[in-house]
Amino acid sequence: MSNSFMLKHSQIFTRPIYCVIYLLLLFCLFLPFSASASGPATSKVNNPANDLWMSVRHNTESGKITSQVKSLDSTVLINSRAEQWTWFRMTLLIKYSIVALVLMIIVILLIFLIRGKIKLQNGLSGNMVHRFTDYERIIHWMLAILFIFLATTGLILLFGRPLLIPILGQEVVAIMASASKEGHNLFGPLFFVSLILMLFRFIKRNIYERGDLTWLLRGGGMIGKSHVTGGFFNMGEKTWYWMVILIGLAISVSGLTLVSPSLGQGRLIMELSHVIHSVAAIILITVALGHMYLASKGTEGTLESMKTGYVDIKWAEEHHDRWAKECHENNKIISAQDYARLQGKNIPNQSPDQSSLVEERK
Amino acid sequence: MIAGFIDGPLWYFSLTVFCIGVLWKLASIIFGKRKNDLSVARASGIPGAIKTVFSRFKADKGMVPHIRVQIVAGYMFHLGLFAVLFFAAPHILFIEENLFNLDKIGINWLAMPHWAFIVASEFAFLGLLMLWLHRLMNPVSRLISTADDHIAAILTFVVMLTGCMALLEGFSELRLLHRFCVELFLIYFPFSRLIHAFTFIPSRAFTGAWFGRRGISS
Repeated sequence: MSNSFMLKHSQIFTRPIYCVIYLLLLFCLFLPFSASASGPATSKVNNPANDLWMSVRHNTESGKITSQVKSLDSTVLINSRAEQWTWFRMTLLIKYSIVALVLMIIVILLIFLIRGKIKLQNGLSGNMVHRFTDYERIIHWMLAILFIFLATTGLILLFGRPLLIPILGQEVVAIMASASKEGHNLFGPLFFVSLILMLFRFIKRNIYERGDLTWLLRGGGMIGKSHVTGGFFNMGEKTWYWMVILIGLAISVSGLTLVSPSLGQGRLIMELSHVIHSVAAIILITVALGHMYLASKGTEGTLESMKTGYVDIKWAEEHHDRWAKECHENNKIISAQDYARLQGKNIPNQSPDQSSLVEERK
Repeated sequence: MIAGFIDGPLWYFSLTVFCIGVLWKLASIIFGKRKNDLSVARASGIPGAIKTVFSRFKADKGMVPHIRVQIVAGYMFHLGLFAVLFFAAPHILFIEENLFNLDKIGINWLAMPHWAFIVASEFAFLGLLMLWLHRLMNPVSRLISTADDHIAAILTFVVMLTGCMALLEGFSELRLLHRFCVELFLIYFPFSRLIHAFTFIPSRAFTGAWFGRRGISS
């Protein structure tokens, strides 16, 4: 009995006329849904719950909304601002972040291709002067390592959905995002601590003084042919320092606000914190790329100051002439042999020709 | 397959290497041949040994201004790591269930709260980072450091980092990554300077006893 029924039933789909009728029936079934989706063509039927949800959304009857949770915003059931925030996060932020980062990389590449490594006019002398203590370099590199880690994990969280998922797939990006989030939250406070250490250690030498404006107007020596004067830190370095401190503080404070949601801040503060955190971070990452290039591949003799704590006196004379003058006056310059000895390199005989040491340092 | 290997054979292999290696090292220190001290002892060596084990926790006054970074960072790292290793809830659970079956014989201890875990790991990370950077930045430390020191520091950092990244316990892959790093760490441990976690006590005791016999206050 059941076999004959199944046979008949299967035969229905083999005949074209039945198939057409079947499809028409299906079409009629879904017609009301498609009509309501197209909107204006159909007559409006008032949803009795509309008024309720409108009042909930706009909180017009806030007195009636109660919650067992006694905290800020606990009676806000629908956050209308969240749509704007989502639009900012998913559209504006991602788009302009990519533009900013790509533009900076292009600028760096162009500078490298056109200008190349900025060499010292008179070359390296081999005679050195002490610039940064061990402690200062530890703070610098600690901040740098933490910054690179936080920037990487932050960018994974920001660009994960639009850029990484198409390449790596959802599962891999989900794991990366989870790991990045935990790492980011954990290392954030360490960045804040390093920033405070840097603030106090370097603040004295980064106060703006007379002559700094000249440096700025001359584009740090790019404009005009004559030498542009500078102290221990020039205007560009001071500005970078204040950018790191102020933007870094903005990132840290907004980040700590985001990571501790139960401190009493409402949704508005959280949303604003997210906007500040992401925009400030993108600005700092973009400028940091320039700093990394200029301090390493971009300028001859600069990286050594953060590697060993010493710089060539010719480098100091060219980039920080006022400080170099002080070093000359106070006899702070050491010979290439003494410098090599301090770095633990064996120098068998004191040779008058220091070119080999200079070459080695290059 | 990889998960099974990490959770199974590799775990038992690394644990065996670690245990045998540590025991072998300690035995070679304690039972190793030494020259007999023929001098007449001025005092017993035992009080000196005990005293020195504890007195060396405090840095010498004269040295403090020169090694301030190492003292602060050293304490931050070691105390932070100790707290995270023995008082983090996932570690306690793991030790109780897998390592010694302590839960079956009724031995357990309280885990620290989550905020304390975060603070302890922050201390450990900051301390380790400062110590490693000091090793790289200070010319003397750089000269006396070997590849072993750097590998040990980086390996410890990676173990801690993967552990913290797996904190959410949402993905078994992250837990496996952490466990794999721990296993590498355990295998490397006995053959490196990481062994100082066990040898610092006999080392201090030996020095203290030697001084004690000669009546030297140390």
